[in-house]
Amino acid sequence: MTSQAAAQKRSHIFRAAFLILIAGYFALPLLAMARFAFQNVPMALLTPEKLLTGWSAAGLQTALTDPQIISATWTSIQIVVLSIILNLVILVPLAIVTEVRNPALRPIITALTLLPWVIPPIALVVGVAATFRIAAPWFLASNLSLVPFYALWAMPFTYRLLDAGLRAINARTLYEAARGMGASFPAVMLRVILPNMRSSMIASAALTTALVLGEFAFASLLLKSTLPTEMVTFERSDPRGGLALALFVMVFTAVILGLVVRAMRRRGLTFHASGV
Amino acid sequence: MTIVSMKGIAKSFGSSVALADFTIDIRSGELICLLGPSGCGKTTALRILAGFERADSGTMLIDSKDISDLPPEKRGFGMVFQEYSLFPNMTARQNIEFGLRMQKIGGASRKETVDRMIDITRLEEHADKFPHQMSGGQKQRVALARAIAISPRVLLLDEPLSALDAKVRESLRDEIRRLQLEIGVTTIFVTHDQYEALAIADRVGVMSNGRLEQLASPRELYEAPANSFIAEFIGTTNTFSAQRRPDNKWEVLSKQLNSIIAPANGAVARAVIRPEQIALDVRDDGDGTILTISFLGAISRVIVADPTHGHIVADLISADAARLRIGDRVAIRIRDDVTEVVLFGVDVA
Repeated sequence: MTSQAAAQKRSHIFRAAFLILIAGYFALPLLAMARFAFQNVPMALLTPEKLLTGWSAAGLQTALTDPQIISATWTSIQIVVLSIILNLVILVPLAIVTEVRNPALRPIITALTLLPWVIPPIALVVGVAATFRIAAPWFLASNLSLVPFYALWAMPFTYRLLDAGLRAINARTLYEAARGMGASFPAVMLRVILPNMRSSMIASAALTTALVLGEFAFASLLLKSTLPTEMVTFERSDPRGGLALALFVMVFTAVILGLVVRAMRRRGLTFHASGV
Repeated sequence: MTIVSMKGIAKSFGSSVALADFTIDIRSGELICLLGPSGCGKTTALRILAGFERADSGTMLIDSKDISDLPPEKRGFGMVFQEYSLFPNMTARQNIEFGLRMQKIGGASRKETVDRMIDITRLEEHADKFPHQMSGGQKQRVALARAIAISPRVLLLDEPLSALDAKVRESLRDEIRRLQLEIGVTTIFVTHDQYEALAIADRVGVMSNGRLEQLASPRELYEAPANSFIAEFIGTTNTFSAQRRPDNKWEVLSKQLNSIIAPANGAVARAVIRPEQIALDVRDDGDGTILTISFLGAISRVIVADPTHGHIVADLISADAARLRIGDRVAIRIRDDVTEVVLFGVDVA
C-alpha cells in the first residue's frame, strides 16, 4: 500500500468516526428520551434481559386524548396558519419590490429583517404588553395575539428564503421581460413572479410551522395556552406521557417537512436557501 | 427611413457616467450592433430605449414620436436578455404566447402566430417542454420567438449569445440574422464580441466611454476606422511611424502609400497596418525574428519580434507560412498590393 493510499484510508476512518460521533450526539438523547417515554422500566433496574419488556404507548395515548392538549393543539394550528399568512403577506411584497424595483436596498432590508433576533423575547413581550395593555387590552387577551410575534420571529428565516428564491429565478429579468411584452404590474406579479415563488413560499411556511410548534418563550411570558406550553404543564404531572408527546410532535413535524420537500422535488421545485 | 432616433442621451449612476451625449439614428429594417468594451454604456443605451432606465437628458423618437415618457409595456419592443429570461412556470409554447395574451390577441389568431413562431425558430420538438428541460440554445430560441411573436416595432437583443458555448453561439447568431432578414424587423443587438458584430450587422456602432465613436458598415469600420480606438478595437493592428513626402504621399516601412482618411497634420503620423497587409521575407540580415507560428486553417498567424517596432502580427496564407520556422530572421514589409493606409496623428496614436 502506498503512503498516499494509507493517508486516504486514515482520512476515511477519521471522517467516519467524526460522523458517528456527531450522529451519536444527536441520536443518543433522543433514544434515551424514547426509552424513558415508552418503556416502563426504571433505568436502575434495566438489564439486558429486560430490554424488550415493558414497552407501551399508553403515555402517548393519554397525552393525545388530554382535553387541554387537544385544545392547545387546535390553538397552535390556528396560530401556525395565521402566522404563515401574516408573514407572507408582509414579506412577499417587500421581497419582490426590493428585488425588482430597488435592488440597492437589499442590504438594508436584509439587515432590518434580522432585528427580531437582536431583541430578546422578554424585551419584546414587555414592551408590547406595556403598550397594548393601555391602548388595546383585548389584543393581549386572545391566544391569537401571539401571531404577530411569531410572524416577526420567523422573519429572519423566511425573508432570506424568499429573497434567495427571487434571485434564483432571476426575478428582475423576468419582470422586465414580461413588462416589455405589454404585461401590467399586477399581471406580471400574478402570472409570472408569484407562481415561480411557490417553492420559496412553501419553504417559508414549513419553517414558520416548525418555529411556531417549538416556540415556548413568547407563549409562556404572555401566559398563553399553546401546544409547547401545555406540553410542559402536562409533563409536570405525567413525565412519561409528556416526553412521549414531545417526541411525537418532533417526529410529526420532521415527517411533514420531509413530505413537503419531497412533494416539491417531484414537481421540479427545489429549495433555494443560501444564507439560511 | 429613420425609425429610431436617440439624441444627446446622457445617463449617470451616482458619480459614474454610463452615457454621455449618445446619439444614433437607426434605419427601418436594419440590424445594428452596438459594440464596445465592458462598461462602455451599450447595455444602458438599450435599457433606456426599452424603458427600463430613464435617461437624465436627451430625446428618443420612434417613427418621429417622442417615447421618453412611455412605460416599457407601451413601447412595443421585443427584447431578448443575456440571462435566459423564460418564465419557468410556462412551457415554450406558453412563453411564446404570453405577450400575445397580454395584448389580448384572440384565440385562433394567437394560436396561428405561436405555431408560426415555433415553425420559423424550429422548435416543434420542444414546444411543450418547460425551460428546465431545454438546453441554453433552445431557451434562447424560445426567447427570440417570444420577442418576435408580438410583432415588435424594434427587436432589442442584449448580449443574447454570451451565455452559450461557441458552437451554439455561432449557429444561433446565423439564425438570428436569418430570422431578422425573413421578417424584416429593425434590430439592435448589443454585444462585446466584435466577430459576432462584424458577422451579422448591417452597421456596427462602436462605443467607448458612453459615446458612439463610429457607426458604419463592418467593412468600413475595419478598413477606415474613424480613430485609433476603433482601429485598435476592431481586428488586430500593427502601428508603424509614417513620414509625409513632398508629393503628399506617406512613407511607411519604405513604401509610399496614399492616406485613406484623416491625413494627420504635420510631417509624422502613425500608420495602422493590418496583419494581412504584412509580408515577411526570410533574410539572414532581416531585423525581425519569428517568435510563434499559429496554424488557423487557411491562414497562419506569425508573430515577429522586431527591435524597432516591437511585436508585429502577420497573417499569411498557410502554404506560404509553411516555409517559415520559429527563430528565422525575416525582413518586415508591406505587401505590394497595399496602396492606401489609415493614419492617425502621433499625439492620438
